[in-house]
Amino acid sequence: MSGRARVRARGMARSPSAAEVGRMQASPSPLSVALSDSEASSSSDHVGTSRISQKYEGGLSSGDAGCTVKERGGKIRREMTDLSVCTREKLAHVRDCKRGSSGIPVKLVTNLFNLDLPQDWRLYQYHVTYSPDIESRRLRTALLYSRRELSNKAKAFDGVILFLSQKLEEKVMELSSETQRGETVKMTITLTRELPASSPVCIQVFSIIFKKILKKLSMYQIGRNFYKPSEPVEIPRHKLSLWPGFAISVSHFESKLLFGADVSYKILRNETVLEFMTDLCHKTGMSCCTQTCEKQLIGLIVLTRYNNKTYRIDDIDWSVKPTHTFQKRDGTEITYVDYYKQQYDITLSDLNQPVLVSLLKNKRNDDADVRMAHLIPELCYLTGLPGQATSDFQLMKAVAEETRLSPLGRQQRLARLADDIQRNKDARFELETWGLHFGCQMSLTGRVVPSEKIIIQDHICEPVSAADWSKDMRTCKILSAQSLNKWLVICSNRAESVTESFLNCLRRVGRPLGFNVDQPKIMKVQENPAAFLHAIQKYVDPEVQLVMCILPSNQKSYYDSIKKYLSSDCPVPSQCVLAQTLNKQGMMMSIATKIALQMTCKLGGELWAVEIPLKSLMVVGIDVCKDAFSQGMVVVGFVANSNPRITRWFSRCVLQRTSADVADCLKVFMTGALNRWYKHNHGLPARIIVYRDGVGDGQLKTLIEYEIPQLLSSVSEASSNTSPKLSVIVVRKKCLPRFLTETGRTLQNPPPGTVVDSGATRPEWYDFYLISRVTCRGTISPTYYNVIYDDNGLKPDHMQRLTFKLCHLYYNWPGLISVPAPCQYAHKLTFLVAQSTHKEPSLELANSLFYL
Amino acid sequence: MAENNIECNIVVDGNVEEVPNKKIIKFNPPLYKQRYQFVKNLVEQHQPKKVADLGCGDVCLLVILKYQKCIEELVGVDINEGRLKWNGSRLSPCMGDHLDPRELDLVITLYHGSVLEKDCRLLGFDLVACIELIEHFDSEDLAKFPEVVFGYMSPAMIVISTPNSDFNSLFPSTVFRDSDHKFEWSRMQFQTWALDMANRYSYSVEFTGVGEPPAGAEDVGCCTQIGVFRKKAKATESAVLEHHGEHVYEVIYTTSYPSLQQMNYCRRVVTYLVYREVHRMKRRCQVSLRQHELEPESADPGNPTRKFISDLPVPVLTEADKAMEMTPQPFCIGDKFYVPLERIIACPRLRHICGNVEKLREFLADVVELNCDGSAVKVDLHDCGDY
Repeated sequence: MSGRARVRARGMARSPSAAEVGRMQASPSPLSVALSDSEASSSSDHVGTSRISQKYEGGLSSGDAGCTVKERGGKIRREMTDLSVCTREKLAHVRDCKRGSSGIPVKLVTNLFNLDLPQDWRLYQYHVTYSPDIESRRLRTALLYSRRELSNKAKAFDGVILFLSQKLEEKVMELSSETQRGETVKMTITLTRELPASSPVCIQVFSIIFKKILKKLSMYQIGRNFYKPSEPVEIPRHKLSLWPGFAISVSHFESKLLFGADVSYKILRNETVLEFMTDLCHKTGMSCCTQTCEKQLIGLIVLTRYNNKTYRIDDIDWSVKPTHTFQKRDGTEITYVDYYKQQYDITLSDLNQPVLVSLLKNKRNDDADVRMAHLIPELCYLTGLPGQATSDFQLMKAVAEETRLSPLGRQQRLARLADDIQRNKDARFELETWGLHFGCQMSLTGRVVPSEKIIIQDHICEPVSAADWSKDMRTCKILSAQSLNKWLVICSNRAESVTESFLNCLRRVGRPLGFNVDQPKIMKVQENPAAFLHAIQKYVDPEVQLVMCILPSNQKSYYDSIKKYLSSDCPVPSQCVLAQTLNKQGMMMSIATKIALQMTCKLGGELWAVEIPLKSLMVVGIDVCKDAFSQGMVVVGFVANSNPRITRWFSRCVLQRTSADVADCLKVFMTGALNRWYKHNHGLPARIIVYRDGVGDGQLKTLIEYEIPQLLSSVSEASSNTSPKLSVIVVRKKCLPRFLTETGRTLQNPPPGTVVDSGATRPEWYDFYLISRVTCRGTISPTYYNVIYDDNGLKPDHMQRLTFKLCHLYYNWPGLISVPAPCQYAHKLTFLVAQSTHKEPSLELANSLFYL
Repeated sequence: MAENNIECNIVVDGNVEEVPNKKIIKFNPPLYKQRYQFVKNLVEQHQPKKVADLGCGDVCLLVILKYQKCIEELVGVDINEGRLKWNGSRLSPCMGDHLDPRELDLVITLYHGSVLEKDCRLLGFDLVACIELIEHFDSEDLAKFPEVVFGYMSPAMIVISTPNSDFNSLFPSTVFRDSDHKFEWSRMQFQTWALDMANRYSYSVEFTGVGEPPAGAEDVGCCTQIGVFRKKAKATESAVLEHHGEHVYEVIYTTSYPSLQQMNYCRRVVTYLVYREVHRMKRRCQVSLRQHELEPESADPGNPTRKFISDLPVPVLTEADKAMEMTPQPFCIGDKFYVPLERIIACPRLRHICGNVEKLREFLADVVELNCDGSAVKVDLHDCGDY
């Protein structure tokens, strides 16, 4: 039974105790994750409180550092597990120094702030017990905090563990406090540990402190970030509000404790879910209203009107109405209408609306005992964008315009945050009592490595702009191209004349590139996806080199059905072009050039190269992507070059269950790539460098324990004598640090080739940041590379420069990209499969870039 | 109503259940909730603008009252600073309050201080609640208390609740209900004190209570006795409102809610309402255009969604809709869709906020595109944002 079906089944057999209305707490603080917020938040969570004490006690009795960290959910935990994986110590060549040396030094401003602590700073961890025992975390906290002994101390408390920055007078302290009802409760506070500032537990406590501080600055937590709803950016035309905010983190970088903040926006729809649904139904008509609503809404996060919580919509229960009753926690039955009137003075206007169903994650135990919350659409607001909205060009443009910040604008936001933190009385008090000093913004020195030359067939060119060398390419012959002799074009009747003129154009631009295009067979069909597919099925034979489809609209079903058929069922490279693209007057030549280049690649051609000093090098890109169609499935893509020049690419792709380890298919893929190399070069590559993208928080350990051994075994089995040397690098496009260069009074994006390998890196890793892209608007974000395995022993300098070189080799874009080309190819491949074909592509296409 | 129940250490909303461990009387809803409900009812009935809770403790009552639309100022006073600090954030606006702001401003402030001290920021209130407060005073403090609350603060209404010791006969234990209680009064004692205070400070007083006695023991009265005091003369109001006294309380927490009284929020809400109305009319227009082309669909009667959907395309005409039908119709010119402001203002909520077309136009200036004479909102008939 699928997850959805389970939800449904549960929805039908609703036991009264299972359903509840969106957690009836009048509590104003956001949904919080275990300890991380326990102190800053006042939400008393009764979910599973009966288990809280035993559970915590269990965690504590073993009394080691791992436990406190392990007990709690959320990001911190996962990040922590990654940080405990110290890969650098195993890499002898970088143990002492992981910094490169080439290039021109450049001074960079970061979005990291120094956090200073006194030398002898300690965190004191206490264990608190109550007699008689009390379950409510809030009450436990209230009782403890009302004691004068603690009132002016810096403290963080999750109901069991208390952290203080000052030692209490006695190791074991007995206090008593009274509840509002007059019950006397005895509290025993026992010192369990003294922790130095470098302890991971301290990082966790610092994160809590900053969460508290941001809340004091009137920010609200949604997910992991903090937003300020009082200063929204409005896009009324699209009914959107953007809340400005920050992603924050506190972490130990090389030698210092740093606070990092990056500007973030939360998109909110200025309409209730009910309005959204009503509109959707008007638009689509009655017949498919329910399906459309479910399709659009399920999986989205909503914000409730009356409290500060967010919920994920897991289902819509059309059989429940606001006039139905549910059972409150005290056992009484009440209708939803009456409940909201009584509790929040809210009058529901639509008594026929269905309810949204959200499964509540039980934070403390992984029992099958999943609870549901029923939410009234009228009282919910959508956060984020519904899937289809992201394809709305106008809307996305409007959002991008509002959220794109220039380097200077970004810096101003940061400066204001720092200023607010330092000026706000409560925030300052919080920092001071903990002994923390919020210092200045950190600057560091990076290096700009030399720019690369692009090798084309007859000459080497030094592009005018590293961002885009399409102009330099225009008159040059590409490295190699296959002639296109037998091919098929399918278009609608209406598009016949544009198609003709486009084909002329294609031939004209093809010639100077060295790409010969013969006259294709043109089929005219009706304007529907089935007609296109039918024509393909009918006319494609093994002789056909390529199929081009001139699509009448960007309706997804055209593209999906064509790609699915031609990449799996009947493997032939295909090229889809939107008819409306061909109507753009005056741009025909550049459009035709782009398409011609893409077609050459799909036929196995090579466009350009860069100089690679390593003579026998295989680079591999691996990416993982969730399947858009079926939940619980992921697509793993693997791309490797098959020639030393790094211009020909071999690819493999597989769909597998989320639960399966990615590693399972890697050995097969790697062996396939080595076989291909062997066939091509009559030997094995001397070195293999794997760029692994799509790694989530906390997966580092899995990579090291499962994926690398798989790759290694494939490599060692490939040869009986000297097997290729392997390096594995984790690539992350999303990372918190940003780097800007100061020029005069203003700030700018650093030039491409900027490498940062100090200051913002981690002492336990062999890591670096590389900016390999150029942008004219907005702020660039660096890509983060973490070398987790390295047999090759290349100097850091060479590793960095090689990575930069590889960012030049993505054939879909004559310019630099933000990740090494194999990663981008792997991404493109997984995206095609995850979004369109949902089927493994045929092996016959493995040697061409059919997925471009 | 009281009922027998052995299980009693139930924790609700972070409060320990009213009845201590070994008791067998349990109230449903719990007694403390009944007291809060009583105050909430008073607020609903009398619509006070400024409300204070003296001895607010964990701010539970304030959390209930913050949802009341009539209140514009809510104050809590307590001597336990730690508690106020810890609970303050429970009173901050929700994220939803920014998306759908209140009608009226609301400022909530928590003060650390003793209710036996005078602070001019507590002058001019409409309702002051002293729930389970006076029994914690020793005789000296009890003597000072009326002078501060009745004499100095002198709000329009005061509600005082305290345990009824007559009811204690139903409890097995003979001690006070709370070890910090300095006294527990019988109904007679409380009423004598209350009438005396009412006379002295020209208030009228009514007595009531919550926590009804079990059947057969009606003569002991309610578990909690309540006196509701109302000020007789309102003539001194202007004198009372002079805010030049001392500030002795320390502000622990303060927050201000977004509301339609604030121009930026008001403008936002008006803009979105206008877009919503225009969008709705546009949809209706598009649907009617489409219905010309399509056959009416036959809905499956067994489909549970039918009811919800069926009233979408053909809404029942309400009074408001009828009023709207009287106004100028929206119209199309080319691919533009126009909705006259006259029609938009017929939307009850917008009429309520803006009042008239001129005001509406003012709100929309520079934000929404109007036609050349400014009489109608202009949008594209076919939005590219159709998804």
